[in-house]
Amino acid sequence: MREHMTGKERIEAVFRGRNADSIPWVPFAGVHAGKLAGYSAREVSTDADKLVESLRKVHSLYRPDGMPVMFDLQIEAELLGCDLVWSEDAPPTVSSHPLAQTQTIPSRLPGPDEGRLALELEVMARVKREFGEQTALYGLFCGPFTLASHLRGTNIFMDMVLDPDYVHSLLDYTLQVSQFMARCFSEAGMDVLAVVDPLISQISPEHFREFMHTPFSELFGYIKELGAFSSFFVCGNATMNIEPMCQTGPDSISVDENVDLAQAKRITDSYGVVIGGNIPLTTVMLFGSQQDNMKAAVQIIDSVPPGRLVISPGCDMPYDTPVEHVLAIEQAVHQTHSVREMVNTYEGSTFAFTGTLPDYEHLQRPLVEVFTLDSATCAACAYMVEVAKEAQHHMDIDVDVVEYKYTSTENIARCREMGITKLPSIYINGELAYSSIIPSRDKLIEEITEKAAAT
Amino acid sequence: MADMKMISELLQKGRAKEVRELTQQAVDEGMEPQDILEQGLMDGMNEIGIKFKKNEVFVPEVLIAARAMHAGMGVLKPLLVEAGVKTRGTVVLGTVKGDLHDIGKNLVGMMMEGKGLTVVDLGTDVSPQRFIDEARTHNAQIIACSALLTTTMKEMEHVVRAADEAGIRGQVKIMVGGAPVTDAFCKSINADSYAPDAASAADAAMEFCMVS
Repeated sequence: MREHMTGKERIEAVFRGRNADSIPWVPFAGVHAGKLAGYSAREVSTDADKLVESLRKVHSLYRPDGMPVMFDLQIEAELLGCDLVWSEDAPPTVSSHPLAQTQTIPSRLPGPDEGRLALELEVMARVKREFGEQTALYGLFCGPFTLASHLRGTNIFMDMVLDPDYVHSLLDYTLQVSQFMARCFSEAGMDVLAVVDPLISQISPEHFREFMHTPFSELFGYIKELGAFSSFFVCGNATMNIEPMCQTGPDSISVDENVDLAQAKRITDSYGVVIGGNIPLTTVMLFGSQQDNMKAAVQIIDSVPPGRLVISPGCDMPYDTPVEHVLAIEQAVHQTHSVREMVNTYEGSTFAFTGTLPDYEHLQRPLVEVFTLDSATCAACAYMVEVAKEAQHHMDIDVDVVEYKYTSTENIARCREMGITKLPSIYINGELAYSSIIPSRDKLIEEITEKAAAT
Repeated sequence: MADMKMISELLQKGRAKEVRELTQQAVDEGMEPQDILEQGLMDGMNEIGIKFKKNEVFVPEVLIAARAMHAGMGVLKPLLVEAGVKTRGTVVLGTVKGDLHDIGKNLVGMMMEGKGLTVVDLGTDVSPQRFIDEARTHNAQIIACSALLTTTMKEMEHVVRAADEAGIRGQVKIMVGGAPVTDAFCKSINADSYAPDAASAADAAMEFCMVS
């Protein structure tokens, strides 16, 4: 084991059942990537330049060991004739099912230069060049069952009972589409090919064995032949299907918060399969506090035996997930020990702030306080400290810049005293100026100058 | 004598044809339609709901059972109407505006029908105003909203607000559910009830209808 592995080396080590210097962290920033660069979900789903710019932000701020290029299960469906409804803050949704009224089996396979697949392949090639050396890139495509449901609609569930032969034939076809996607993504340099099939949680293990075992086994065998790692993503309560999923031979499985990770990991471990998951998306990542996010990540890590583990959100992150929540999880995964301490200290009731806060009303000169998780390890925190110091350096007036790291008890107490809940944040003269979003140097200088004039 | 237990079991297996035949046989033998409904069809759907809640059956099994229930209802419905049997309550059901997902919503509808409630299914992408208008038109006791997306679940709050503004909160309870929805979210938007699965939603709806 090397001392400081790249993210890609971490993922490779864990997928090969070896030790890594840290648990790998794979944030599923689908359309949420756009939020980091100021683009809508629709923009990052349809514009290659905007998507690349957004993925750069994901890469620099969230320090992923592995990251998806897109999290859009509608790309193949759109190519195969499904209509989509677009949204500014969510991936598109399939709105029509070409096979809803007819039990025919299509034969056409799409080409790599068609529709948004062409865009995705272009972006894959570009990010591969930019950071594919250090970071494992995930190519996500719609799994055969969910794709079949996009084409056929919810009738597919009834078909499983009333016309099993039709379902087998349709899955034969969607398997070919999945294999085509896998080949395209492999050629574009993706390290992990992830088969995303959320609907798997909605069928029984018996139906899984009857309908899914063969196509999924073939698909994971095919991905192995391509020389890539494979992953099987599922959403919803797939508890009963974890074992049958393992039996199809993926390198890893990724589950959401409806699955008890510890219980699932006992099964995946017995099959030598890596498990990824499962920070709760809504309750914690979207609506929780930064503390809740740290705590959730640490608790998950502490709930399972080490090894063959990847920490990820339960599924694609909502567009509006607060940035600081993702930063906190990154810290918890890569600096688990120190974040565990932070959480314990914060929750311990025995400490109080013993220092004194600056007399913000009567400062001699502007005071810029940067509150960070830890600028030595958190990328966004480091950028924030850096921009504050740069502003200080480039200003005509004297400015004090101080960093408070959340790694010490005293600083946690200070944050609590000041009511700070989001890190990293910049406070100017005791007032919140920026949290999570890093200002440009000039913008910060402007802000400090204004505050100085006001006092 | 047609065996009610048999109807219930066949319904759970989704055997639509046999359920219809046995229901007809029971009717022909002079059994009260209301009794066939409750002891046969509704009992079967109730069992399916319990198994669904316990993760013992899944979406295909529920859909196929509901289909068998409909087959039986095809026989009973005209007789129940003729006999003037009153509905146990009316639910206006739909997936909220901007959201096209309907598997969960459909399951809720089936479970509610399985309890003998009248379900007015408004489909997907339903605006807050439409929920209110339809609730009024059908004299419903319940508005049930479904959402699968974190972005669309916010629409539920608009439904609650629209109901407040329409002044119908005294007569109509608002139920919410769907993958991202939680009890805490339900409380935060001041809706009346959250249910984690379709069977629980039907139970909660029944409770509201019993007291109203």
